[in-house]
Amino acid sequence: MEEFRFLELCVYNAYENMAVDEAITLAIKERKAPPTLRLYRWRPSAVSIGTFQGMIDEVDLKYCRLNKIDYIRRITGGGAVYHDFEGEVTYSLIVPKGHRLAPPDILKSYRIICGGIIEALKHLKIKSKFRPINDVVTSGKKISGNAQTRRNSCVLQHGTTLLDLDVEVMFSTLKVPKEKISDKMIQDVKKSVTSIREVLGRHVEVNELGNALEAGFSKALKIDLVPGALMAREWSDAQRLMKEKYSTTKWNLSR
Amino acid sequence: MGDSIYKVPGGKLLKIKLTPSEGRIRAIVIKGDFFLHPEEALVALEEFLAGKELDEATLAADIQDFLDDAGATLVGASAADIAKTIFMAM
Repeated sequence: MEEFRFLELCVYNAYENMAVDEAITLAIKERKAPPTLRLYRWRPSAVSIGTFQGMIDEVDLKYCRLNKIDYIRRITGGGAVYHDFEGEVTYSLIVPKGHRLAPPDILKSYRIICGGIIEALKHLKIKSKFRPINDVVTSGKKISGNAQTRRNSCVLQHGTTLLDLDVEVMFSTLKVPKEKISDKMIQDVKKSVTSIREVLGRHVEVNELGNALEAGFSKALKIDLVPGALMAREWSDAQRLMKEKYSTTKWNLSR
Repeated sequence: MGDSIYKVPGGKLLKIKLTPSEGRIRAIVIKGDFFLHPEEALVALEEFLAGKELDEATLAADIQDFLDDAGATLVGASAADIAKTIFMAM
């Protein structure tokens, strides 16, 4: 099986997380790093928005500041996501352009890579399927959202898998007028989004999801995950990107 | 100045902030949760649209031509959807 570098479940803040993803694309572009799968969590919890979204349109910055929740613009499109430290695991898969897992047909590549999440959920005894464009659903409810970018001669796909869901906090971080956070709205979201703990009715640990994702990606994508680490150059690029891009108002509030 | 929001059926959300001037686009900002590869094409598209006549069918064709020329792929919305949302912001 093809070998991928595996960066096992780790914890960073929002700026580090997004900077590391981009730094890996730079290393792969220069053929200094192999195709990579990484798993990560966000501490403090954070809201990430799609690259074309308006930060002020989408995120309640005052609530986030008061509650020490970070906010960041991704390099990928898609929508706003609340990354709860206790409630989700994020992955990113980065491969050079032309790799078999990332064909030019974008929907096809989402379907292929999301196969890893579907297999991970199967590992946890949850039946799920891919729902175009970029979601994985179980019993019609979204349990994972994914986003892709093609740059630096790479395809980067990252996504979140929900372990737990706190609809009230999620709504509070996003810009929904507080008076509109009605019981009905909360019920509507609960009808369209779910989490692993809700489906299984038990307390699944974060590491159990991490292990399932590792096994799921390996099996579905037919890749051998070899534990590795970031190279010094990747880490210095990430530090630079964090300082010059991801932690700046210029980037985060650019739209 | 006008704003519009359009949820593409089976697709993503488009948000437009339009500054029109004498039947033309003076300035435009396109936001939303759609995908566009390469992402840099969006700012270029906004610049391209400045000065264009506000005619939905012509705009749809112009946007499609722009995307084709730029080798850009829009996912979750189409050129016609953007034109429609621009029109809704008038």
